Amino acid sequence: MAEHDPSSQLDRLSRHGLVMAIWAPAVFAAAVLFHAGYIYVTNWWFVAAFGSLIIAFCAHIIVNVVLKSGFTAGETALGSAILVGLTLAYLITILTASDVLVDRLMMPVGLGLGALVVVVVISMLISFGPRRAFEKFDVIRDNNLRAASRLPHRGGRR
Amino acid sequence: MTFLLVITLGLLFVYALYFAAQTARIGGNPRDFLDGGMTLPGWSVMFILPAIGVAALGVERHLLLVSRYGLQASHVAVGLITVAVAAVMFWNRLWVATRLAGLNTPGEAIGRYYDSIALRVIMMGLCILFALPYSANLLSQAALLVQQATDGTIPREMAVWVFALSMAIPAIIGGWRAVVLVLAMEALLMAILIPGIMLFGEIVLAGDIFPTRPMPVEDGIFWDRIPGVLQGYAGVGKNVPTGGIFTTVAISSTAISLTGIVLSPATLYLGQTARKGHAFGIGAVWLTGGLAAGILLLVVPVLAARMPAGLVSHAEALAAVVPLAGVSVILLGVMGALFAISFFVTGGTLLVFRELVHTYLFPNLTDRGQRLGARISLGFGFFLLGLMAAFMPFVSAVFASVALPLALQLLPAMVGFAFMRWISRGAVLAGIALGSLLVVFTEPLGLIIFEGLFVDLPWGRWPLTIHSAGWGLAINLLIVFLSSVATLRGPDMYQRSRFHRAMKAHPPASAARSGLLWGLAILWGFLAYGPGAVLGNFFFSDPIFTDLRSVMGVPSLWVWQMLFWLFGVVLVWWVSYSVGFGRTQEVTGKPMRLGMPRATRSPDWISSGLSRVVNRSGDAAADHPGQASVRLLLPELESKQPTVKPGRGKTRYG
Repeated sequence: MAEHDPSSQLDRLSRHGLVMAIWAPAVFAAAVLFHAGYIYVTNWWFVAAFGSLIIAFCAHIIVNVVLKSGFTAGETALGSAILVGLTLAYLITILTASDVLVDRLMMPVGLGLGALVVVVVISMLISFGPRRAFEKFDVIRDNNLRAASRLPHRGGRR
Repeated sequence: MTFLLVITLGLLFVYALYFAAQTARIGGNPRDFLDGGMTLPGWSVMFILPAIGVAALGVERHLLLVSRYGLQASHVAVGLITVAVAAVMFWNRLWVATRLAGLNTPGEAIGRYYDSIALRVIMMGLCILFALPYSANLLSQAALLVQQATDGTIPREMAVWVFALSMAIPAIIGGWRAVVLVLAMEALLMAILIPGIMLFGEIVLAGDIFPTRPMPVEDGIFWDRIPGVLQGYAGVGKNVPTGGIFTTVAISSTAISLTGIVLSPATLYLGQTARKGHAFGIGAVWLTGGLAAGILLLVVPVLAARMPAGLVSHAEALAAVVPLAGVSVILLGVMGALFAISFFVTGGTLLVFRELVHTYLFPNLTDRGQRLGARISLGFGFFLLGLMAAFMPFVSAVFASVALPLALQLLPAMVGFAFMRWISRGAVLAGIALGSLLVVFTEPLGLIIFEGLFVDLPWGRWPLTIHSAGWGLAINLLIVFLSSVATLRGPDMYQRSRFHRAMKAHPPASAARSGLLWGLAILWGFLAYGPGAVLGNFFFSDPIFTDLRSVMGVPSLWVWQMLFWLFGVVLVWWVSYSVGFGRTQEVTGKPMRLGMPRATRSPDWISSGLSRVVNRSGDAAADHPGQASVRLLLPELESKQPTVKPGRGKTRYG
């Protein structure tokens, strides 16, 4: 029912609008800074580019806290896909690009991507605690759901 | 740079289209298309308010003025504090009145409160003024910027139509809510771009940072100080002021003119259609008074010092280093304009539709019919916008110059509506009429027409360095106060008192705090941008209380501006949080009826005129007796015998 309730849909759209309003300028700023980093040899531009993405991520978490919501399935999927895509592109570049380009990009971009992963992990640890954060990735247990696992004396975590 | 610019602007369009489609997909009540269901998200309103304030100054225009006149022009940005105070106070009262009396538009609010059709017409005129000439002027300038940035690859006319179309499609699909959601993102992007471009330029370009390197102004212009309180100056086009045009009186009148943007119908409508909460306070205090005013006062002088030849030259300098950075500069100029255009054309068109088409022409439209009508109106509005911007840039510029000062003439009407019950309808109308006359004759519109038809006037634009808004408002307030004294016991006083009594049930504050507030505001205004601001010229470099000279490395006036910006933030905070205008709560209790009941049929003369056009062969009354005009001709009356019901006094013809 909630799926077709216009007011809840409007609330979701409103939250989506806020999240996009944060990410769109941040991504544009990151693109400019990344472009500057690519042209200049100075690594600080890459630091600023990934910094703007981390700031947007923090702002997203603040939005979640203020609106008492979490990352939606779509946001999680999109974020994961982009991160995996960027990592693959990074690896392919390292394998195929010229030595000069690899020397210039490998360290700052690798550290930047690593920093993004670390920030995501830290945010999950803060939000969910170590055990529930780990359970988010525990796909095997999710594949074998049993009703008894919901009982309190069995943990009741489901 | 051309390719990257087109891609970036294309992405902006895709973003707008995406949110328009998302909004349209939700469905809900078709009437929400016009007002967002009166529940626009608070965050969007609080992001848009500062951008509206910046739009009143005009991003490109402000940068140009600061690069030409230095800190005296930059001082005008203190006026954003006034914008924030006005917005939070009027929005709060209008929001409450809207829920209390079931009002749909600002025109309806003012018109029903004063029981005046003339005020509704004036509001509608302002909608059109902001939606067409004001926006067309901005669009023409934005298109010109694109033409210059692309070396003519995209000509001005083409850019005008592409921009008009790219703004029209999302507005037609998504309506008011979608446009507001998109504008909120653009506001945030502008807030990042201005300091970002400044920082980037200072890092990658050669040369010292301002104020180590002084502002490259023309000889005779005081870039680091205000050229006096007032000058015996006949006006622009007549003679040249000494040291620059921005005297303290010019600064204060220009700063007050910015309040006109708060009183523009679309801005009032934005506040009216917001959801309850703390958005007004956060938007006014931290984002408008704090962030936007701070960026304009601290960042813009540094940025302007780098671009004496305008945005395009700076964009080319940055593009030579990093192409996407050059695109950012052009994007800043273009988006500053597109933001205001999208906001005023969409808001203005929707208001004209509700005020004119729905209220008078087709009052019985269904909800779906209203949405369809609004969509057609939006298409028509954006088409007219493109037409004016493409083929009448000069006319647009002339009419655009009076938009803000004319909107400011509504200040007494809004003050009466929100706070002072003794301001009467006659006083407001007389004040608006005379104030507007003075505005028109101290701006190019009146000067060009009068001097073209008759003789040369002894004054030009902004005589005595006073902005036209200042001239108009001074005479307006004088007339309003004098007339209101004479009409204190007028017959319409009862309704106004009844309304204010009902509004008092939802008070923002205690009277004692309000009194202190006005005292603080006047003192702050006198020193921040009033005559006291000249003290800032040398206050921190040559202190009057000692013979020693201070060596700060920055102009004294800049420090003065920062100081009174911070005091201004405290003032807005006081208004919003301590006095309580910054938050809105659920309006409970019995709803009240304000003014005459809403008409359910068109006025006779409009209805009969319409029936001549749409139903030439038959009688409109035959199909829809309820909607038919009451048009009885004299011969008909004479030929028909009235049927009188005994004892009821009702008379029926036919």
